[in-house]
Amino acid sequence: MNKENAAAMPRPIRIYVKTVDWVSHKVGLIAMYLIFMMIFVLLADTISRNIIQMNIHWAIEMAQFTLAAYYIVGGAHSLQMGTHVRMDLIYGQLSMRGKAWVDVLTSGFMVFYIVILLYGSISSTIYAIETDQRNFSMWNPSMIPIKLIMVFGIALMLLQVFSTFFKDLAKTQGRTIDGEPIHESSEEPVV
Amino acid sequence: MSYEMIAITMFATMLVMLLTGQRVFAAIGAVAAGAALLLYGTGSMEMPFNAAFQLFNWYPLLTLPLFIYMGYIMSETGIADDLYRMFHVWFGRIRGGLAIGTIGLMVVISAMNGLSVAGMAIGATIALPELLKRNYDKRMVTGVIQAGSSLGILVPPSVVLVLYGMIARQPVSQLWLAGAIPGLMMAAMFIIYIAVRCRLQPHLAPILPKEELDIPLREKLKLLRAGITPFLIFFFMTGLFVLGYTSLVESSAVGATAATIAAITRRRLTFRILHETVKKTLGISCMFLWIILAALAFGSIFDGIGASRAIETLFITNWELSPLEVLIMMQLSYIVLGMFLDDTAMLVIVAPLYVPLIVSLGYNPIWYGVLYTITCQIAYMTPPFGYNLFLMRSMAPPEVSLWDIYRSIVPFVLVMTLALILVIAFPEIALWLPEQVSR
Amino acid sequence: SQNGPIRWRLQTYSGAPLGAHVIKPQIEAFNAAANGEMEIELYYADQLVPTSELFRSLQNGTIDAVQSDDATMASPVDVSVFGGYFPFSTRYSLDLPVLFDRYGLNEIWAEAYGEVDGVEWLSAGAWDPLHIFTKEPINSLADMEGKRVFGVPTAGRFLSRYGLVPVTVPWDDVEVALQTGELDGVAWCGFTEAYEVGWADICNYALSNNVTGAWCGSYFANSDSWAKVPDHLKQLFRSTIDQSHYYRQVWYWGGEADLRVNGEKLELTTIPAEEWDQVVKDAEEFWEEIAETSERTRRVVDTFREYNALMEKAGIPYRYS
Ligand code: NA
Ligand code: NA
Repeated sequence: MNKENAAAMPRPIRIYVKTVDWVSHKVGLIAMYLIFMMIFVLLADTISRNIIQMNIHWAIEMAQFTLAAYYIVGGAHSLQMGTHVRMDLIYGQLSMRGKAWVDVLTSGFMVFYIVILLYGSISSTIYAIETDQRNFSMWNPSMIPIKLIMVFGIALMLLQVFSTFFKDLAKTQGRTIDGEPIHESSEEPVV
Repeated sequence: MSYEMIAITMFATMLVMLLTGQRVFAAIGAVAAGAALLLYGTGSMEMPFNAAFQLFNWYPLLTLPLFIYMGYIMSETGIADDLYRMFHVWFGRIRGGLAIGTIGLMVVISAMNGLSVAGMAIGATIALPELLKRNYDKRMVTGVIQAGSSLGILVPPSVVLVLYGMIARQPVSQLWLAGAIPGLMMAAMFIIYIAVRCRLQPHLAPILPKEELDIPLREKLKLLRAGITPFLIFFFMTGLFVLGYTSLVESSAVGATAATIAAITRRRLTFRILHETVKKTLGISCMFLWIILAALAFGSIFDGIGASRAIETLFITNWELSPLEVLIMMQLSYIVLGMFLDDTAMLVIVAPLYVPLIVSLGYNPIWYGVLYTITCQIAYMTPPFGYNLFLMRSMAPPEVSLWDIYRSIVPFVLVMTLALILVIAFPEIALWLPEQVSR
Repeated sequence: SQNGPIRWRLQTYSGAPLGAHVIKPQIEAFNAAANGEMEIELYYADQLVPTSELFRSLQNGTIDAVQSDDATMASPVDVSVFGGYFPFSTRYSLDLPVLFDRYGLNEIWAEAYGEVDGVEWLSAGAWDPLHIFTKEPINSLADMEGKRVFGVPTAGRFLSRYGLVPVTVPWDDVEVALQTGELDGVAWCGFTEAYEVGWADICNYALSNNVTGAWCGSYFANSDSWAKVPDHLKQLFRSTIDQSHYYRQVWYWGGEADLRVNGEKLELTTIPAEEWDQVVKDAEEFWEEIAETSERTRRVVDTFREYNALMEKAGIPYRYS
């Protein structure tokens, strides 16, 4: 693209949005397939316990770790896909640009919440590293890996919130970040 | 600030934030984090993230993504098409028979999955176009599909009852059994309503022409085979669990596997479909789990600043209500909150406050779980905020307007309210089956 | 110096039904005696913070005080291995306070927690003996094989050599996990608790052999919160802790005997003496393994050895075998 569109967002913002979207998407692809990991671990335990009378004592714990990674790391991609529900009594009546304005104005809530989560996750991870924290169980696995994964997922979520913010900001002008006009009909449905 | 004022302020702020249309998890999480920082004191910054470990410890939540996955896979297996054909042929000659058959279809789908999403997807894509093509009244049939699919959370298995069980500390197997008879009763009530209405207003449901259903009895009996796969899935998932062979979370993995195998053996499962399924599963699971994450933080912060004390004072000390009045007030408050709040958030925030109160008033918490679930079903269908409404809006064909969708739910909400009253008046409807089994 | 009473949030390891005995009377007594100068708000297991984050939350002041054993809250100190149930360390619930008060464990615990910032260890006390309650009977060591039980880490780790599988779920979820099939039993408490909490309703059998005579639990406070409390309220808090220790001694000691004899919900089973002697012997090896982990754990293990040898010599009524 040689020709700069006059209505486009500044170049650093466009690079930021595209990079973050790309990362969220790729990470989301990994996260979504973790579902098979959960199914596999739990099924293996069911079978070994009922058929060969052998317990896989770490099965549920492993599945719990996987679930934590699944929704935290997949969070950014789900934001990207627009799957989070909203109370759309008023919001649903607005035009695309109206919705974009509301999102721009209220995205501070989301930033605030995610920043506090990020702070908590980092503090919790530092504690885990300093004390070599382990989960209280027979398996006794280290909590450090899952906490690091959670910090990564929440940080990515925060980056994605800003990316979404820039896209909404462009949408208030009825455009994409590259300055292309968007038509009302091309919006995604609420669910 | 008094505890009552804190409680009211927190709820009011949350409702205002929800009204802005910001994502539900963000609105709840932001109020929780804000209240923590302003009112909690030392160590408050860690509270929202601590909820992630509370969620981590709730291992029954593992069933949530697995049930969602199973629901989506099932709509791809073609099981529903066969079932629909079976009901279609068997009930087609009765007045309103296709609508009645759709309720039957929804009951079978409900017995194979724990949410209402799968029922909505199958109802809107398979049943709805067929019903409209045969000139059934569009308002009635959109209502039938929304109401029928809501049985997904009452007929076992049920994700809502798993969540309730975790919060109320009640056994999920007992809750599932308790939901079975009320679920079937409600399905029967829908059928009676459809049959009576179609008798009174025959133009709503034309009878199918004879030639369309002119099938020899042998062929008709053959169609019953459509019920075999659903029965097997139900048996492997819910049957083995209730019989004690699998634990709850294992049963969801078994169910997910059974549905996947059914899809593979029917040669329906392409990589593209699988990919779409896991993608949608991630989206819906994240929606639920992020709401639960935020709602758990809200709950413990609400507790930690003493606001939860205000609820008991309000209901029991200040208003001097009788137990039944407290119960009715609670259900009404669910319906009001359900206008603004997603049912998961409602459950995680409100149930920890209500359940101990219910127990102290001498009510059975298993029975209350069924009442809660029926209330959720109503909330799913009542504007402005309801999952089934959202789904219907995004899936309905263009000739069905928003106004049609809103109008369609009215009679069904009344039938559900009647079911709710019946279960309140005769608790045995819910409790008989679990009592038989636990004996 | 400040307006209104001092407010503390205290979270216990126990759920509400058990908390009604092991802590609630103490907190009510404290609040009444503090006469409005200080008020402690009591929270049960996982109510404010999840148990896995309990120590950290205490350290950074999210909660002001904790009642728990060192192992359950995963205190980052070497002696936390002795919290909860340490196999065969005690025979009777009176052994535990004697070990702490007269045999130097108080000093060792104070020293260990003195090395951790932000947390004050206040006092340790005795709970109930460890029995195993299951849905299917345990009549021999072989019956332990493959049974998934809710259990504390140290005793659980020890018993896992006989095939028992210790599983950890939040305390409040144990009852449900027993019913949904995630658990086959509990190795967490004695008869009093099993009946009080309702686990006796779901389990059918009780193993009469006890692995430890008394659960070892402690009280902790956040250092800053503790420093802000005036001396007379500190004394009051310590006195009510002793009152709680005393309440539990009576409640459990009386309850265990009564429910063994008069309780009708659980059938008693016993592991044959020769097999059980092997378990006792294995525990000696296990003690040595733990003693090798640090100089301080060796001191604790030596104290157990010294104390139990003395009790054996003292004979009846201190020891009958
Ligand atoms: Na269901
Ligand atoms: Na609603």
